[in-house]
Amino acid sequence: MADHRIVSVLIPAVGGQGGGVLSEWIIDAALLAGFPAQSTSIPGVAQRTGSTSYVVEIFTRPRAELNGQEPVFCLFPVPGALDVLLAPELLEVGRAIEAGFASPSRTTIISSTHRLYSIHEKMPAGDAIYPREWLEEAARTFSRRFVSFDALALARANRTEANAVLLGALAATGVMPVGVDSFRKAIEQKGVEVAANLKGFEVGYELVRRGADRPAPAGSVAKASVRPEFAAECAPYPEPLRPIVAEALHRLIDYQDRAYAERYLRRLEPFVAGDHDPYTLGGLVARHLAVWMTYEDAIRVADLKTRAARFRRIETEHRAPAGQLVITDYLKPDLDEIYGILPYRLVRPLAAFAERRWPRGRPTLGQHVKITTVSGFLRVWLLARLRPLRPISYRARHEHALMAEWLGAVEQCLRLDYDLACEVARGAQLVKGYGDVRRRMVAAFRALLDSVLAAAAIDPGAARALAEECRTLVLRGPEGEDAASQTAGRTLERLRRSVAGSVLQRDRLPSD
Amino acid sequence: MGERTFAEDVKQLGYGAGQILQGEGILAITKAVLQSGVSYIGGYPGAPVSHLLDVMGDANEPLLKPMGIYFEASGSEAAAAALLGASLNYPMRGVVTWKSVVGTNVASDALSHVASAGVVGGALIVIGEDYGEGASILQERTHSVALKSSLPLLDPRNSLSAFAHFVEEGFNLSEVCGQPVLFSIRIRAAHMRGTLVCKDNIPPKISMRSRIDHAVFNIEKINLPPFTYAMEAQKFEHRLPAAQRYIHEHGFNEHRPGAEESIGIVMQGGLYNTTARALALLGAADLYGASPVPLLILNAIHPLVPEELCGFLRGKRRVLVVEEGMPNYIEQQLKALAHDERLSVEIHGKDLFGQYGELVPYVVVSGLKKFLTMHEAATVPGADVERRFEALTAHRAKLGAILPTPVAKRPPTFCTGCPERPVFSAMKILRTKQPEVGDTHVSADIGCHSFGTQAPFNVGNTILGYGMGLSSSNAVAPLFGKRVVSVMGDGGFWHNGLTNGVANAVFNKQDSVLVILENFYTSATGQQHNPSTGKNARNEPTTMTIPQALRGLGVTWIKTVNPYRIGEMLGTLRRALTTREGGLKVIIARGECQLERQRRERPLIRKKTERGERVSQPKFGVDPDVCTGDHSCMRVNGCPSLTLRDNPDPLRDDPIAHVDASCVGCGVCGEVAHAAVLCPSFYEVKTISNPGPWERLVGRVRMRVIGALAGA
Ligand code: SF4
Repeated sequence: MADHRIVSVLIPAVGGQGGGVLSEWIIDAALLAGFPAQSTSIPGVAQRTGSTSYVVEIFTRPRAELNGQEPVFCLFPVPGALDVLLAPELLEVGRAIEAGFASPSRTTIISSTHRLYSIHEKMPAGDAIYPREWLEEAARTFSRRFVSFDALALARANRTEANAVLLGALAATGVMPVGVDSFRKAIEQKGVEVAANLKGFEVGYELVRRGADRPAPAGSVAKASVRPEFAAECAPYPEPLRPIVAEALHRLIDYQDRAYAERYLRRLEPFVAGDHDPYTLGGLVARHLAVWMTYEDAIRVADLKTRAARFRRIETEHRAPAGQLVITDYLKPDLDEIYGILPYRLVRPLAAFAERRWPRGRPTLGQHVKITTVSGFLRVWLLARLRPLRPISYRARHEHALMAEWLGAVEQCLRLDYDLACEVARGAQLVKGYGDVRRRMVAAFRALLDSVLAAAAIDPGAARALAEECRTLVLRGPEGEDAASQTAGRTLERLRRSVAGSVLQRDRLPSD
Repeated sequence: MGERTFAEDVKQLGYGAGQILQGEGILAITKAVLQSGVSYIGGYPGAPVSHLLDVMGDANEPLLKPMGIYFEASGSEAAAAALLGASLNYPMRGVVTWKSVVGTNVASDALSHVASAGVVGGALIVIGEDYGEGASILQERTHSVALKSSLPLLDPRNSLSAFAHFVEEGFNLSEVCGQPVLFSIRIRAAHMRGTLVCKDNIPPKISMRSRIDHAVFNIEKINLPPFTYAMEAQKFEHRLPAAQRYIHEHGFNEHRPGAEESIGIVMQGGLYNTTARALALLGAADLYGASPVPLLILNAIHPLVPEELCGFLRGKRRVLVVEEGMPNYIEQQLKALAHDERLSVEIHGKDLFGQYGELVPYVVVSGLKKFLTMHEAATVPGADVERRFEALTAHRAKLGAILPTPVAKRPPTFCTGCPERPVFSAMKILRTKQPEVGDTHVSADIGCHSFGTQAPFNVGNTILGYGMGLSSSNAVAPLFGKRVVSVMGDGGFWHNGLTNGVANAVFNKQDSVLVILENFYTSATGQQHNPSTGKNARNEPTTMTIPQALRGLGVTWIKTVNPYRIGEMLGTLRRALTTREGGLKVIIARGECQLERQRRERPLIRKKTERGERVSQPKFGVDPDVCTGDHSCMRVNGCPSLTLRDNPDPLRDDPIAHVDASCVGCGVCGEVAHAAVLCPSFYEVKTISNPGPWERLVGRVRMRVIGALAGA
């Protein structure tokens, strides 16, 4: 018997991605080419969004030679015996590898690099996206060949579907017993969006044939370049800080004015002067301070919402001139945000009252503003004109006091331990959100400062670990906030006991 | 059903002798049903057998009516099982279908009664064995039901022609032994694509075109003592022996001898393909399934035929049973038989495969390896098996180092724009913002809305069966410190919830809140029609409504809410939970299944746009510079289209929210941001295609003014 095989293909997809059509094209192509083939699927619970999978098996011996014999097809992909893993989404590659399907000696992995994030990656308050590098490394290690490219982006650019692009890529790898023309015929035979799908097929086919399927390196390049208009001004700064400071200057002037930007530079100064290569602490303070000083008050939001650039962005996204767009903004400032923009002296009594009266969840002013009408636009635009009031506003007083507290803590820690100072600087990442969310995050941040400073007095190393742990926990979301405060309590308790213990021991020593 | 059509499948169902049908396993079964001369067809939808009913719905006018076949989508599995009563006295064939084991549980009452009285016309029950990977229900198998009710159970080998063959034989078997026959099909087998050589469809002798004209009365068929005693005796003295005879004489089970005479493998037919592949991978079979190891493929797993089994066991030293799920009835029966017959054969099974769980390839390969290497067999050298096994699995050891943490789970969730999701958003907001009222016990139910128990909502403390949301809170409510909530879909309401839930609660004077998610279809199984649709499966208009049904049962506090208005939903929930009024309070969250709606509206919109008519299409967006990346919207919204993207701001760390192109503009993004007071980042954009001249002018003037103020 000649060396015939069963070629098995697994398509792990996310519901609604067209994995079904992809598997049908493959099986149709095989049947057209005269090979026995079978496919099946696990459709997943919902029609959308769950993990779904399709399996196709093709016998490499043409039916004409079989004399009535039937190969036995399996309805499951077999771990370790998989020939092709064809994935419309990258995380699903990881899932298939995790289940042991892909094997370094046998499997060709073809994957789109784009991601559909799972809810568990989306929910945490920080960055919980499963590391792309891990997925790509796994795909490289667990395959004979790893072909990857952003099929979705290619499809969009060519006005076609990602699954057609992937089919082309599959055809180009040559791992299938089926010839390229049979794939084309399968698309034609199906009769849906034939022209667009054929186009997609060719795009994928060409890409892989040319060997142009290397994924773009991760990380954005933009982060490293210095804004030219501030290049001169940033020249005195150490090299790693220049792009950050330039970005910060741009942002602060845009937010308030030149004087405000200078205030920033003055505040930053001590953290740069005392730092050394690679300027980790300086960079952290520079970045977080700039973001914090441009906190999103109602004036800032109004400003961002009424910019020409915003309308241009939406026009391109929706491929229509602004005159044909009706944009409605969902604004719902709460009481804090409203009186926040008024002068401190004026609203202090009101604020004190509000905090007592509504300790949790202040009253709000919900509005749907049609910003593409003149009256709607004016309402928001006029609010943005209040910018000169900002420096004397209630909110400014509050925010800057808190910033000072943070910078003070960083300085204090710097005297004890550089890494501890960096960790405390990183804590500012927690200060974000609006309304209640921001109040909660700020509370978590202050709790972090308090406990870390207390711990630092006893053991700076433990304090650094604590700061990192608390920040990570809070970034996991509301449940993490409780966990963080418990951890802090426990750590402090432990540290205090150990101090008491060692004091006790020292006291005892002589009598022993 | 729904607005989907199955025109291609319906066409193939009409094929005559010799024509080749191409499609899924379940379609082959459907076709074989029509080739068997059935008089009636019924069932309740559920994966993986919904398709049978869906296609029959569409085939009703062109195919079933002309043949005089009665078709219904039954109100529940119990109603479907009771349909088989038609075959009790009258010599007509019928088929019903449902998802098992849950559907079988619902059907049990009627099923036991039919099984007791026995049938004179062939009755087939196609059960979708929703077990293992991809299953949506709890993990039990149907085997025990077959045993306790003495129902023959077919579990055929996976090929379309085998399915068709055993459907036809199933009817014959049923008539020969006088019992309804269970025909089991697994998920992957139901969706398996292949080909079938068709036969002609056979119109039934008794049909809506040639009806029965007199009622048959046979007191011996009445399920009351003393006749039930006689029925029980019949089962064991006549019916099961007759079944065994037929199964044996018609070669249901396949014995494949092999050179390796001292060992053998017995398997359920449905597991043949996996077993054959595993043998091939271990070098103990070729790709056509030919193996030196003798195989016994049981396409009928109840009743087993002792002669067949003894014949297989006799002379063997060791036999392996490939059987899925617990209890391991086949293995136990084999062991008992070997004992009774004093055969000195070792019987293995669960000791090598593990007790529970689906027999996926890895499990089967591992178990077979153990079996084949127990003693040296001449044609299958142990070392060779070991080496091949090693080659298949060696790479697994490296996994942990490269994927240090498990890949993020992707739990199923509500579709983009789903009307049910915002109800859970509202419940979650109430729980966090007003825990003294909203943080209460919630009894969830089965249906799409059971995803409410998953991330990001985690709303729902129990799921206890279809339509059981309300009844499962009946003992919690009086014993819980706050007013409790239960959830039900319209599917569950009409299936079971109306009687076991609402009537029961009103009768027992429950003080609790019921939220009914009415989306007009039984959506989780594929948008089948239910009474809320306003049309039955045959597309005939119906007039039942939920409020009417509720009022009929004496419920007075009924509020219907548009679920997309989260503020309103929140207010209504709060009122229901705090009102002084006792008794059952029902909130109906009414909004059409978005999948159905899109299926219908998308083509319409495309056509309108092409015709040059004015079309306004909403979508949502997030201002990237306003979003601070705290993701609180994700934790209350959960829409698949609301996702993340890299932060474009080089000074910030965390990814920001982003609405992708699949948004249908349902408005929930804005409503959530408002109701939960999250952030001002969300905006709605209505794109107007083909605006009128006046609108165009106004638009241009507005943008001129705005442009001047906004600056460059
Ligand atoms: S508006 Fe928001 S919730 Fe509704 S479909 Fe669009 S992204 Fe999903």
